[in-house]
Amino acid sequence: MILPRFDVLVPESLEEALEMLGEHADKGVRILAGGTDLLVDLRRPIIPVHVPRCDGCAKHPGGMVYSTIDCELWLSEPTAHAGGSLRNALQDSRRISPQYLISLHLLRELKGIKRLDNGSLYIGATTTIREIAHSEKVRRCWTALAEGADNLGSPLVRNRGTLGGNIANARPAADMFVPTIGLNGILKLQSLGGERLLPARDFASGPGLTVIEPLEILTAVIYPAPLSYSGSSYYKLANRKALEISTVGVSVSLTLEAPDGPITDVRVALGAVGPTPILAESAKGILLGETPDEPLFKKAAQAIRKDARPIDDHRGSAWYRSNMVQLLSERLLKIAYIRAKRNK
Amino acid sequence: MKKYSILNSRVPRVDAVDKVTGKALYTDDIKMPGILIGAILHSPLAHARILNIDTSLAERLPGVKAVVTHREAGTTPYGVSPARYDETIFCHDKVRYVGDEIAAVAAIDLDTALEAVSLIKVDFEELPVVLDGRRAMEEGRPLLHDIYKNNICAEVHWHFGDIEQGKKESYIVRTDHLTSKMQDAAFLEPQSVIAEVDSHGNLTMWSSTQAPHYIQRTLAMALNIPLHKVRVIKPAVGGGFGPKASCSTAELATCLLAIKTGKPVKLTFDREQVFLHSRARHQFFHTMTTGVKKDGTLAFLDHQCILDGGAYASFGIATIYYAGSLLGGPYRLKNMKYDGYRVVTNKPACGAQRGHGAVIARALFEVQLDRIAEELGTDPIELRLKNVMEAGETTCNELFVSSFGMREALEAVRDSAAWKKKRSLSGKTRGQGRGIGAACGFFVSGAGYPIYRSRTYHCTVVTKVDDVGGGVTVSSGAADIGQGSDTVLAMITAEELGLPLDDVKVISGDSNLSVDLGAYSSRTTLMTGAACRDAARDVKRQILEAIAGVLCVPPETLDLKDGKVESLSGELDFSKIREEYLREHKGFIDLPNELCLTFREASRIAFLERGSIVGVGMYRPPPLGGSFKGATVGTSPAFGCSAQVAEVSVDLGTGEITVENITGAHDCGFAINRTQVEGQMQGSMMMGMGEALMEQIIYDKKGRIVNANLAEYKIPTAMDMPHLEAIIVESNEPHGPYGAKEVGEGAIMPVIPSILNAVYDATGVRIEELPLTPERLVAAMEEAKKKPSLQENP
Repeated sequence: MILPRFDVLVPESLEEALEMLGEHADKGVRILAGGTDLLVDLRRPIIPVHVPRCDGCAKHPGGMVYSTIDCELWLSEPTAHAGGSLRNALQDSRRISPQYLISLHLLRELKGIKRLDNGSLYIGATTTIREIAHSEKVRRCWTALAEGADNLGSPLVRNRGTLGGNIANARPAADMFVPTIGLNGILKLQSLGGERLLPARDFASGPGLTVIEPLEILTAVIYPAPLSYSGSSYYKLANRKALEISTVGVSVSLTLEAPDGPITDVRVALGAVGPTPILAESAKGILLGETPDEPLFKKAAQAIRKDARPIDDHRGSAWYRSNMVQLLSERLLKIAYIRAKRNK
Repeated sequence: MKKYSILNSRVPRVDAVDKVTGKALYTDDIKMPGILIGAILHSPLAHARILNIDTSLAERLPGVKAVVTHREAGTTPYGVSPARYDETIFCHDKVRYVGDEIAAVAAIDLDTALEAVSLIKVDFEELPVVLDGRRAMEEGRPLLHDIYKNNICAEVHWHFGDIEQGKKESYIVRTDHLTSKMQDAAFLEPQSVIAEVDSHGNLTMWSSTQAPHYIQRTLAMALNIPLHKVRVIKPAVGGGFGPKASCSTAELATCLLAIKTGKPVKLTFDREQVFLHSRARHQFFHTMTTGVKKDGTLAFLDHQCILDGGAYASFGIATIYYAGSLLGGPYRLKNMKYDGYRVVTNKPACGAQRGHGAVIARALFEVQLDRIAEELGTDPIELRLKNVMEAGETTCNELFVSSFGMREALEAVRDSAAWKKKRSLSGKTRGQGRGIGAACGFFVSGAGYPIYRSRTYHCTVVTKVDDVGGGVTVSSGAADIGQGSDTVLAMITAEELGLPLDDVKVISGDSNLSVDLGAYSSRTTLMTGAACRDAARDVKRQILEAIAGVLCVPPETLDLKDGKVESLSGELDFSKIREEYLREHKGFIDLPNELCLTFREASRIAFLERGSIVGVGMYRPPPLGGSFKGATVGTSPAFGCSAQVAEVSVDLGTGEITVENITGAHDCGFAINRTQVEGQMQGSMMMGMGEALMEQIIYDKKGRIVNANLAEYKIPTAMDMPHLEAIIVESNEPHGPYGAKEVGEGAIMPVIPSILNAVYDATGVRIEELPLTPERLVAAMEEAKKKPSLQENP
């Protein structure tokens, strides 16, 4: 398919961008950051599709699904009602292209990595993946995020792709989104009316689907300062070593009271094993307050496995994905633990 | 070895600068005034009867210049093998795969053409689909073609020697299986076509093709135009690997649109269409039973194969024969039986791809040898060395190997990869995540016979000396599709005439220039290279005869070297020639002042004496092969052979496989250009690695390709590639020019099995289904843990 016709609007300030968003909201408008996903998606034949809200189902609030891949994922969702409504929507669907893309590339305030006074890390939404991969700050204290950046796409994609774009696209396998949830990242969503802060884990509501309001722009992600004796790690499992979409992605963040424990905080985020990235809740119950050792990590990994909700698709079976969630969780807990011990 | 001035060197390719600077013109780069853009309507269904096609809306769309269906195209059957012409330009009665072509449109631009395609209304009656090749032959399955009973498009039953006798002699007999997946060749340049008809009714088509001559024939036949009115030109091509060796609907439809509109029409596939059109590697289901004697001598091979070839025959008739015949070498094997079935299914048609038909068969046989070596307690390389053929031997299926560096290649990889040391370690560490494996390969160096039955020359080359003197132009129909054949022709001509490479111009890939069967079956260096050498020698003889006449010396005392005429019998008095040349070029600044007669002067004087100097060379193999049915496929004037050692590491938890090292050796007879030979070997290693570890076309239940793009159809990236070592073995092939034979396809043969054998060494498990994904490996390792006894020998 060829790229449909659209106009690119280039605001010079965030305010102007938000005004443009308001002005064109009813004509089909998309935010353009790096374009590494959007321009590919625009070539697909059925975009976007409106998924009606499912009454009485908090998990499926409805909204626009922007790509055929996401449609397939929705259809394979075990929750039949959501799949059913999408099926109906797909039947009515036709090729609808956005008339406008609003490019954020001139907005300096959306770029850059800085440390805030309280020690937390502030990364502008249009900061490229490459900048994150090359940032010593990020690698030292938010290692999982750097490891996500290392493994995303290829050098060309990393040069253009952005943190905000990777998160706002809300792919279940997104290599920045999963560690962002693992590191308890907070999203800054800006509208003309003001800003709101939202934990990253609450952002996605389905594959390609988020709770962002139509007139909001994701402007930054804030990662809380790690406490002493914290460590993190991310692993992307895939069939080849670059240009891949994860079969499974696991991010682990771990904080210890002292080098030998006990564990005071842990967050395990899972990618590509559900309609959205998943925060594995059961890890906490098993690990918090305990002294880290191999049997404990093994036990935690068994529990984390049950938090995953994988499906069979062409990238891997549910069986393999579940096994890998367990295996990688155990490995990454160990790695995060070793790192945590060293980080005073 | 004879000393050459340019052959066997590493000169840069003649097209290198144009390609890296973007100057080279590929078909889609070519612009013409008033050119129209074509688009094709593909079937959305895998199997359906066509009830009605309504093009009226599309025709009425402003900007549309022509809409064509079977009504305009006719239904002349065509295909690759004359015995199996089962395609028509457009579907008329049925569609047989998702992507089957129903109609085409020419319009003022692509947007309009695509919109028009979407306005064509087709009424279908959906039919049940056949997707599983293993079940396609079963009674009661829906039939794709009336002409193929039980969906069998071709079957082969061969028995050479006596396998019953072989069984009696066997000490170990074992049966193994291997299944592969349909592949995509993943060339960089999607198919692209431009067609135009001139005021005399001459049709010219520019196309990203491997075989201008075959395409010319198919266009003439299917469109019912006299052959001499059809010209096929191959501009720069970004890879073919086989799928571009047959005529496509894109080519036929574009020509038809050009005829209908009287305008030039261009049609370029997008990547999804490349996958839909396919014509790439078949899916193979191999079962082999192999016996060896107690001393490791091969006793027999009993081989069955089902080839799932998709909806049409394409190259499949050759594929089914190659799958059996090329196991005749490189080992001495007296008794061989082969039963092959090539079936049709509702998937895109498969055809030829690098290592045509033989790659998966080779993979399984080499895995078997590894398993047999283990049972015998022998080193797998030693077992192979015990059985390799030598030059001068003939296989049980009557393939004669005139040169054969198999032993040398195997020893080279063994020593270079430090096999003995590493293997002795791995014997103790089997299954601990590091592994090393070896395999060999065997391949034709040019098909012995053309696709259509004929005693045609396989190629001719015409070399003409510039009338003004100074250089030569080589004209050939050969297709340089990126493999570097233009460079080979230029080097051969430069060597023969003693010229610098820059003074040899090669024009090629044009059916008007000469007959050349094209870039397939690894034939060009041997065949067109031989014709090119003869054309150059013809030119040389004529120049020297003319000069000898002027100088009153015997021509045999003269030679052309380093850009000048050399005398073998003392000093030449060429003052008269120099005088005449200088007189002709009064006012020129760059004039010859050397103390010898230059080629520039000699070639000009030869023209003044005799008129245009034109040399002609041609090549046709001698009659080859046995007299049994299908004996022609697999024959070749020469055979290449190769050996490889792969080293891998495996994450025993996730199943991730990292290929750490590949050491390959290939016997190419003689390397015309050493860098190009290594390039073919390295490219083969990468392609084979992709097939072994990641590549597979995935279909859904309705026969739609799930991964019809290069994001989801995985080929290795630079990050996946290990260190590659390419060792050139030169056995001096008597039938090849300067001793040269193939490297283009043979080098892929050992890649898959060497990796499979290395992964076994690393994990202790055998996988019977390709590609060897981490998931399949984990599943096999889990299975082995459950039933440890199954991993041991009975």
